[in-house]
Amino acid sequence: MKYLDTPTGTTSVGLAYGPNVLEFINAHPGLVDYVEMPFEQLRHAPQLSSIQDRIPIVLHCASMSVAGFVPPADDTLAAIGLEAERTRTPWIGEHLAFVTAEGLDADADAAQPPTALTYTICPQLSEETVARVADNLASLRPRFGVPLILENSPQYFAVPGSTMPMVDFIGAVSARCDVDLLLDLSHFLITMLNTGGDAAREIDRLPLERVVEIHISGLNVQSGVVWDDHATPAPAPVFGLLERVMRRARPRAVTLEYNWAPSFPQAILRSHLERVRQAVGRV
Amino acid sequence: MKASRVHAVIAAGLDNPQLLAHWRQEPDLLRGCGVEPAAVDLDALWKFAGLAVKVRHNGLRAHLPLTFRLLNVAGLEIEVFASYASFRAAEGGRYADTSEARAQDLLTFLAGWLDSDRREHALLWDVIRYELALAQLAGPVASDAHVDESSVTHTPRAKSVPRVCGRVVLHEMRCDPRVVGAVLYEKSPRLDEVQLGTCHFCYWRRGAAAEVNILQLDELGFYLLTLADGRRTAAELSRLTGGGSRPAKGFLQALGELAALGILTFDTTAGQAL
Repeated sequence: MKYLDTPTGTTSVGLAYGPNVLEFINAHPGLVDYVEMPFEQLRHAPQLSSIQDRIPIVLHCASMSVAGFVPPADDTLAAIGLEAERTRTPWIGEHLAFVTAEGLDADADAAQPPTALTYTICPQLSEETVARVADNLASLRPRFGVPLILENSPQYFAVPGSTMPMVDFIGAVSARCDVDLLLDLSHFLITMLNTGGDAAREIDRLPLERVVEIHISGLNVQSGVVWDDHATPAPAPVFGLLERVMRRARPRAVTLEYNWAPSFPQAILRSHLERVRQAVGRV
Repeated sequence: MKASRVHAVIAAGLDNPQLLAHWRQEPDLLRGCGVEPAAVDLDALWKFAGLAVKVRHNGLRAHLPLTFRLLNVAGLEIEVFASYASFRAAEGGRYADTSEARAQDLLTFLAGWLDSDRREHALLWDVIRYELALAQLAGPVASDAHVDESSVTHTPRAKSVPRVCGRVVLHEMRCDPRVVGAVLYEKSPRLDEVQLGTCHFCYWRRGAAAEVNILQLDELGFYLLTLADGRRTAAELSRLTGGGSRPAKGFLQALGELAALGILTFDTTAGQAL
């Protein structure tokens, strides 16, 4: 079994698990330091864990609903804890988002069951949510032997009742909860483009010293909105943001998330890995 | 607005896009859920539901790379999948368990949803059928039914019974999807440069070991293959295609040309009246 051990002051470079990842890693020895694996995939297909015979795993998660008001099932948390121990992931990346919400008619005599989705949603950006994240983290953290780090959501629309922009929300959560961050640069750029923010100026307002891991993926304008897209390469502005962050921060890992399409061009994958390695001083 | 109620509304609308339509018609329903109607961007939620369903269909990308590329290049991804999400919600909300079944379900939806007057829609309809035909024919092949080769001939007569060798998928299309495929992988794809017209394609795999062949046929050849069922005689096919019961020379010649390609053979003993 391989485990990730990133020496202090250096940055590991990894790939999100997806079709053809293992073949790519075997064909390009030394280019990829780890594979980021979603807990949900490991739970659904435990045989995927055998990849750790070849390369370390960093655990990612989309099940804890950290910014939500419906707690995750206890057996889900127990399973995440087991995977964290088994993989010896250095941290668990979780979304600063919700995946489950109260039923629509919470006041009904027969309470409706919660609505559980299979993907994460940007929460209301408010003091109320910040307080809830703090409460949730207080109960979640003791369950794991490694830190939870929180990933910023992409914002596709104004969430009703929000009282602060995304950057202030992330800053408030980080300060109040004393929690480190997984900065998804593509999510960040998407949020800025969809809400009219200045990405270069706003990123400087983030607590970049708390960034442990960075995500990079593509984005895509469809039907008048900018969307996350792991099937297309990251555009130049995302790499511009990476260079900007690296001037102020030393994340321990950068993950390329190009995992939606088996036809993703291998030459571009290789060139983007090399570009990231250069940006983090690994060449 | 309480965050928990806002989350409840967003999650319910994404889970069941039919609710979004209800709320659009009766915004006050949202107030009853604890959310101010004017604060909810229902159109954006509907689009987001489309993104979620698109991601849910990532498993189809291996079989439908051109389809997904076309959806992306034509700017149709969200529109198609958001509409599909609403369609599925109206149908009960469940998605099939296998990629093959999901692809067929998507095709069924597109058949009713696409607007053939829109160029990109016409291209999409052809490209997805092209890719599904290739995927379908590339699958495991059952051994052909036994045919007494002594009774098979390649020269048709009125009483000959044309039989397709192997498996075929026949599609009338408005473009050549192979041309669309080439355009899609150009640096700046120009879909408006793809010529539209009527094309008749036969996707054909002769047997388990064979490659899938793509034949572009004339109209007569296309309809002959459509009608050749291994039971009707050439005379019956002639009648069904508007000719007399005594097949014209040109008609038999067309059958002979398909036989020369290897796609048809003629059984002189198996005919039966229909």
